[in-house]
Amino acid sequence: MNASPLALAGAEERRALGFLADLSESLAVSLDLRETLDMAVTRIAAFMHAEAASLFLLDAASGVLECRICVGPVDINGLKIAIGQGVVGRCVAENATQIVREARSDPRVNANVDAETGFATRSILCAPLATARGVIGALEVINRRDGGLFDEDDAEILRLVAAPAALAISNAQLAYGLVEQQRIKREMELARKIQKSMLPKRRRGAFPLLGVNLPAHEISGDFYDFFDLPDGSLGFVIGDISGKGLDAAFLMVRVAGLLRWVGKRAPAPAAWLAEVNAELCKTLTEGRFVCAAVGIYDRVTRVVTFASAGFPPALLFGAGSFEELLADGPPLGILAEASYGERRIALGDRALYLFSDGATDVRDAQRKTLGSDGLRQIILRHATLAPEPRLRALLGDLKRLHVVDDTTLLLLQEPGGKSAQPLLDLHFPARAGEMRAVRAALRTALDAQELGPELRDRLVLAVDEACTNIIRHAYCGECDQRISLQLVREHDMLTFELRDSAPRVDPARLIARDLGECKPGGLGIPFINALMDEWKLEPAADGRGNVLRMRKRIGTGGHE
Amino acid sequence: MNDVANECISEKLDDYTLVRVRGEVDLSWSQQVRRAILDALGATGKVGVELSQVSYIDSSGIAALVEGFQNARGKGQQFGLIGASKPVMAVLQLARLDKVFPLFPDLDAARAG
Repeated sequence: MNASPLALAGAEERRALGFLADLSESLAVSLDLRETLDMAVTRIAAFMHAEAASLFLLDAASGVLECRICVGPVDINGLKIAIGQGVVGRCVAENATQIVREARSDPRVNANVDAETGFATRSILCAPLATARGVIGALEVINRRDGGLFDEDDAEILRLVAAPAALAISNAQLAYGLVEQQRIKREMELARKIQKSMLPKRRRGAFPLLGVNLPAHEISGDFYDFFDLPDGSLGFVIGDISGKGLDAAFLMVRVAGLLRWVGKRAPAPAAWLAEVNAELCKTLTEGRFVCAAVGIYDRVTRVVTFASAGFPPALLFGAGSFEELLADGPPLGILAEASYGERRIALGDRALYLFSDGATDVRDAQRKTLGSDGLRQIILRHATLAPEPRLRALLGDLKRLHVVDDTTLLLLQEPGGKSAQPLLDLHFPARAGEMRAVRAALRTALDAQELGPELRDRLVLAVDEACTNIIRHAYCGECDQRISLQLVREHDMLTFELRDSAPRVDPARLIARDLGECKPGGLGIPFINALMDEWKLEPAADGRGNVLRMRKRIGTGGHE
Repeated sequence: MNDVANECISEKLDDYTLVRVRGEVDLSWSQQVRRAILDALGATGKVGVELSQVSYIDSSGIAALVEGFQNARGKGQQFGLIGASKPVMAVLQLARLDKVFPLFPDLDAARAG
């Protein structure tokens, strides 16, 4: 079986080599593989003096062989055989040529085919179509016309002619696969463009809504939208379709359209969600649902009315702290009779962040998810930026992590408000026992600015000294009057503002002793002098109490 | 270390009095620390203040240490700080007192010193 062609007898050998060269050439230059293979199998049958010949191809996914070309008295085109079964199945399973000399008594031969077709199979040769990718099928010839039996030489010839056929088929399959892949890629790209074109265009000028959508793959199941309403207010929508991929993307197109269509009539957000939910419950397939939040914002009063259907908690950020707005009802498309709450929020200068769960599902290098706390840290870090650069910075931070799901962010904030949002806004009674908690809150706020522990601790000490001076010298001892602490950052300048309602303190009365003088007490002001770049104590503008402003410039890299 | 509860305990080891301070020493209880140090100095023998578990100290805490140091020096008593934590050292340096106080890495060194 492994004999080289040179082992064949002289004249037969030359005839075989000539045939092989011919066949190889016709297969190599073929433009229509099907037609060429048809002709090749016919020629192989003739050359082998066989009554019938057939070519089986393997469907790798199902492991089933199917007859694709057949010549001879019986048409077995479409006949299917499992790998390992019968002569053809065994040939492919073993990647070895099979010779059957006595078909009627050979256990490899399936007698049913003859019984059904009336054909009398006596002798079979079957060679695998072997390629670098593995066996892709088999070539079979049946019964010598001269009534004789196929021998080892015949087996060797069939093995040789199977090789160029296998190569031609394999190349054609690869080429087809490549074309198919290119086609799918082109179509996905087109789908992505259409999806992207459905997102609202960024508005020129000072506009309070900004959105970004970051698909995990070509296409997204997330969306956001905003539009003008007849009374001059703005409608907005953000949503996330359950599941990923093409079906989620198709559904997204439909749901986004529905939410917009209903929203344009400007119903109250709770009614808006209820109407879309009722429609989706009629048509969504089992197991599909949509998390969405909708709202209407009045730019004149700066009031937003907002409702959420199973959407991740929205974050309202202002004066250094977050408020979480939980969902007002279940996701859309699950319960036809679901009803939704809604809430009115006086937004003022604050920021409302809406984000799909992709934003909190981003992973770090250790595969740990960012979570809601991590997202808050990132928002805090960029809190002093104007809305647009802030959203860009947020997205940049998320992209540096590993985005595993579609991620969408919508930010509602009136631009051009106070440029510097306080990073911390604390009010506490003038009692020494409060200071531990104040220091802890200040550490957290400063850590979000990535100052490094040394500078952070020095700034905490200075603020603590200032507070204890207010308690001891302005209020003349502990009392229930208030101290307020605001931390503001403008570029690289941190400002700590402390307000009290104590009687006016004369700044001239504050005497700083020299450091290095070894005596107890009087260290507070020298500490502040050493730790801050500058400070100023003034009477409050409204005449009640004192204002102490301490400033510190922080260098890039977080160190002094 | 920020979660350590505030605590100030004095221990008598033969002729040595050890004042162990833990937590965040600020205005709210620095008077207790001051009292414990002055009480320890009321007895005869050496006094050490152990500060390895102190995560924060403000000027009122430093004042208590300075008062203890001055009191001891007036009486010719030995007084030292033991195992000062990083935050304590930072504030001592800021007050330029790191060269003033005798500083010991641990109790054995302080008792020998």
